[in-house]
Amino acid sequence: MEIPYAEKPREDTGLYNGKAGIWLFLASEVMLFGALFSAYVLLRVGADPGTWSLGLMNKWVGAFNTLILIASSVTVVLAWIYLKQDDFAGFRRLQWWTIIFAAAFLVVKWSYEWPAKFTHYDITFTSNEAARKHMGAALPGGFSEESVKDIWQKRYDPHKKVWDDVELKDKPLDGHIVGYWDKEGKHHEVGAVLGVPFWSKAWLWRFSQPSEKKADEAGTPTTFRKYNIAAIELAPAHGVWDKDRASSKKPRRVAEGHGSHKHDGDSPGTHGHNTVKIPREDIQRLTSFDPGHSTFFATYYTMTGLHALHVLGGIFVMLYHLLPISRRVWTESKDRFANRIEITGLFWHFVDLVWIFLFPILYLL
Amino acid sequence: MAQTKTKKADQAAETHDHGHDDHGDQHFLSKYVFSSDHKIIGIQYGITGLVFLLIGFCLIATMRWQMAKPGQPIPVAGKVLEHVYAHELGGESKPIFENGVMSRSAYNQFGAMHGVIMVFLAIVPLGFAAFGNYIVPLQIGAVDMCFPRVNMASFWCFFVGVVIIAASFFIPGGPAQAGWTMYPPLSEIIPTNGQIYLLVGFILLITSSLLGAVNFIATIIQLRAPGMTWFRMPFFVWAQFVTAFLLLLAFPPLEAAAIMMLIDIVAPGASFFSPTGLMVAGAPADISGGGSPLLYQHLFWFLGHPEVYVLILPAIGIVTEILANTTRRPIWGYKLMVGSVLVLGFLSFIVWAHHMYMTGMSTKVATFFQTTTMIISIPSVILLTCLFMSLWKGSMRFNTASMFALAFLPMFGIGGLTGLPLGFNFTDIHLHDTYYVIAHFHYVVAPGTIFGLLAGIYYWYPKMTGRHMNEFWGKVHFWCSLIFMNLIFMPMFAQGMDGMIRRMSDGGAAYGAADGVVGLTTTSLALNQNISHAAWALGLAQIPFIINFFWSLLHGEKVKNDNPVEGTTLEWQTPTPPGHGNFTKKIEVYRDAYEYSVPGASKDFSPQNEPAK
Repeated sequence: MEIPYAEKPREDTGLYNGKAGIWLFLASEVMLFGALFSAYVLLRVGADPGTWSLGLMNKWVGAFNTLILIASSVTVVLAWIYLKQDDFAGFRRLQWWTIIFAAAFLVVKWSYEWPAKFTHYDITFTSNEAARKHMGAALPGGFSEESVKDIWQKRYDPHKKVWDDVELKDKPLDGHIVGYWDKEGKHHEVGAVLGVPFWSKAWLWRFSQPSEKKADEAGTPTTFRKYNIAAIELAPAHGVWDKDRASSKKPRRVAEGHGSHKHDGDSPGTHGHNTVKIPREDIQRLTSFDPGHSTFFATYYTMTGLHALHVLGGIFVMLYHLLPISRRVWTESKDRFANRIEITGLFWHFVDLVWIFLFPILYLL
Repeated sequence: MAQTKTKKADQAAETHDHGHDDHGDQHFLSKYVFSSDHKIIGIQYGITGLVFLLIGFCLIATMRWQMAKPGQPIPVAGKVLEHVYAHELGGESKPIFENGVMSRSAYNQFGAMHGVIMVFLAIVPLGFAAFGNYIVPLQIGAVDMCFPRVNMASFWCFFVGVVIIAASFFIPGGPAQAGWTMYPPLSEIIPTNGQIYLLVGFILLITSSLLGAVNFIATIIQLRAPGMTWFRMPFFVWAQFVTAFLLLLAFPPLEAAAIMMLIDIVAPGASFFSPTGLMVAGAPADISGGGSPLLYQHLFWFLGHPEVYVLILPAIGIVTEILANTTRRPIWGYKLMVGSVLVLGFLSFIVWAHHMYMTGMSTKVATFFQTTTMIISIPSVILLTCLFMSLWKGSMRFNTASMFALAFLPMFGIGGLTGLPLGFNFTDIHLHDTYYVIAHFHYVVAPGTIFGLLAGIYYWYPKMTGRHMNEFWGKVHFWCSLIFMNLIFMPMFAQGMDGMIRRMSDGGAAYGAADGVVGLTTTSLALNQNISHAAWALGLAQIPFIINFFWSLLHGEKVKNDNPVEGTTLEWQTPTPPGHGNFTKKIEVYRDAYEYSVPGASKDFSPQNEPAK
C-alpha cells in the first residue's frame, strides 16, 4: 500500500501531502500564538497603574537574538537550495549552521536572559515610611521624591500620568539580594544559600506578608523560616538607584547582574554603592522577576518559553535530518528528503516570524 | 518494540506497492494496538469513546440521586463509592462519601467530570475521530489517511490524556470540581491537584486533535480518488472537513488558556486569570494580581462555541448519509447544505460571547454577538430543512439506523430552536445558568448528537464487522431511548424557566421552603424525582444495545454481500470488513454521492464508481 502524492504534487491541488499538512499545522500554531498575543493585549490594556514594567528588557540582547534567528532563517533556506542542487555535503554544512544559530538563541535565552531575571528582586513595603526610609538608603543622596519619581516613571509610567495613583509603599525598590541577617543578628553572605540551579532561584526568596504569616501558623517551610531570616541585605539595581542614574541617559536594563555581590556592579565602598538592610516586617512583597512577579512577567515567560520550546523542537527535527538514517532516505528518494527539508524550513520560518513579533512587544514597546 | 515494528511495516508499505491485506502476518500488537491503519484507529477511538460515554452517564446517574433525594444514602452504589472513592478534601476531614451519602464536593467533582468526559472524551472522539477516521478515507476512495503514523500518534496522545484525566479520580482530593468550563479564579484556588491533571490532559487532548485535524483536512484535499470532485463528496465528508477546520483553529486558544491556567496554579504567585485583590478563605491570596478572569472566559468560549459544532456536525453528516440511503432518494439541496455548513463553520468563530452576556459586557458588544448568533441560526435551519425536505416522497426503509436518524431531526430541532432565547441577551438574563440551558444543549447533544452516533453505529456496523445487529432489540433500544430522553430533558425547560439554577448539589431543595416568594415552586422540585427516574430508566434502556453490540459480533446475521444497505457511496465498494489498503479494485468516480432511484436505471441505486451509461 502506498499513500499517493507523498512525493510528487497532486496536479489539481499543486501540493504534496506534507506541504498541505505543514500549512494546516502552521494555521493552528497561528491561532495558538494568536491567543497568547491577544492575552498580552488584554492584560496590558487592563493592567493596574504601576504593574506593567516597561523598558526592563535588554534590547541589545534581544536584537542579537533576533539577528541570529534571522540568520538561521537564511541558512535553513540555503540548506534546502543545496539539497535541490544535489549537494548533500553543502546541505549538511548549512543545516549545521542553522542548528548552531538556533542553539545560540536558546543559550542566550536560558543561560543569560532568564537567569538574570530570576536573581533580580522587587520589594514593596508595608508602609510609606518604610519605603521612604529604604529608598532613601538606596539613593546616594538620601530620599528625594524627584529621584524616585524619575526611576518609577521610567519603568511604569512613560506618559507621567499615574504617579499619584500609586502609593509610595507599592512602588518597588529593586536589586539583588547579597546577604541576610538571622534572628540572632548574625550576617550571612548569600552565595551559599543561592547555590541552587537557576530555575529554583526564581522562587527562593519569595515572600509576602500574608502568606508568610499563614506559613508561620501552619509551620510550612519558606526560605525566611528555614534560614531564620530577620532582615535582608539588598544591593539596589546598579545604574538605577545609585548615582550613575543621573549621569546616564540610557534606559535601564535587567539582564546585567548575576545575583552575586561581585557581579553586581561595584564592590562596596568603591564609589558610593550602598547595600540596604531591610527588616522582614517592612517587606510587603518580595519576588524575583519570575512569572509570579506580575502579569507582565508571566506573559513574558509564557510567550518566550513556548517559543523557545518550538525552537528546541526545530533543533531536534533538524538534528534528525543529519542522522545517518536521513542519508538512506536521500539515496532512496531525493524528492522525499527534499520535501522533508522544505517542510522543516517552513516550520522554522514560522518560529522566526513569531519571534519577529515577540521582540518588539516584549522588548521595545 | 511494537512501535518500531509498525514503523518498519509502514516504511515497507511506503516504498513497495503491496496488494490488499498484505499485513496479515503482522504481530497482534502492531496490527490492533499500535496500528497506523485508519480503520483500526477509528475503532480504537470508538471503543474509548463508548466506554467514556458510559462512565459519563454513570456519573450523572449518581448525581441524579442526590438531586432527587438530597442527603439520602445511595443504595448499593453509595456503599461501593464510599470504599472506592475514599478521598478527603484538603482542609476537610470529612470523607467525600459518608455512609453512602454524596457530599457536595463529590457532587461538584462528578458534575465537572461528567461535562469534561462527555464532551472531550466521549462525543468528540466518537463523532469526529471514530466515524471520521473509519469512514472518511473510505468515502473519498483513499487507501488510508494522508499521514498514517501521525494518525497513530494522534490516538496515543489522546489516550495518554484520557488516562491522566481518568487517573485524577484516584488522586488524593479527587478530580477537578470547578465545572467543565473551569472558570477561574475558582478553578485555580480549589486545593486539589485534580485541576492540574485535567489541564495536562487537555493539553494532550488538544495536541491530539491538532494532529487529527491536520490529517483529516490534508486527506480530504489530497487523497480523493480520481473523479471525486469536491461536489461529488458525500455530505458526511464535508461535515468532517468543516469539523476538522473548527478543531484546527478553535482548539489552540483553549490550549493557550490551559497553559496559562497551569502556570497560574503551578508557579507561585502567577495570576493570568486571578484579579487584583482576590480574597481566598477570608485572606488576601498570595498572587501578583492584575489577571483577568474574563480573558479566560473569552479564550474558553472561543473554543467552546465552535466546539458545539464539532459535536453536532459529524452527527448531521451521519444522519444525511443514512437518510439518503433509507429514503432511496438524493439529498434535497446538497449544494445548499454544503454552502450552509461552510458558512456555519465561519460564523461559529464569531458568536462565542453569547455565552458571556452576564459578564457585564457593554450593550454594543452584546448586540454584535446576538446579531451573529441570530445569523448563524440561518445555516443551521437550512441544514435541517434540507434534511426534512429529503424525506418528501421517499420510500422509507424503517430500520433501527433510519429511526435514530429520523428522531435526530426533531430532537436537534428542539435543541436548536430553544437556543434562540439564549442567544438574545435580554431573555438570556433570565435563563442564564438555569436548567433551561442544560435542557437546551442536552437536546442538541444527547438526543441530537448521540442519536446520530447510534444511528451511525447501526448503519455501518455491517461494514465494520460483516454482521448485522439485531433489529428487534435495536428498535427496543430506539423507542426506550427516545421516550426517556424526552422525559429527562423536556421538564428541565420548565424547571429552568421557573428559575432553577444549575450546579446545585441538592437540586434546589434548600430554596424549596421559600415556595412562591423568591424560590422555586414545589412542582419544579418534584420534577427532579421524575427526571431522575427517567434518567435511570434511560440507563437500563442501553442494556439491550450493549448486549446487542457484543452479541452481534459473533452471532449477528451475516451480510449477504459487500453492499448490504445498497448504498451509493464508496465505503460500500470495499470488501467486508475492509482490509489494509481498503479497496481491492481501482476506484474511479463517475457520479454524485446520492444517485438513488435514478430514472431509467436498472436498480434503485447507482454507486459512485459505476460508469455512467
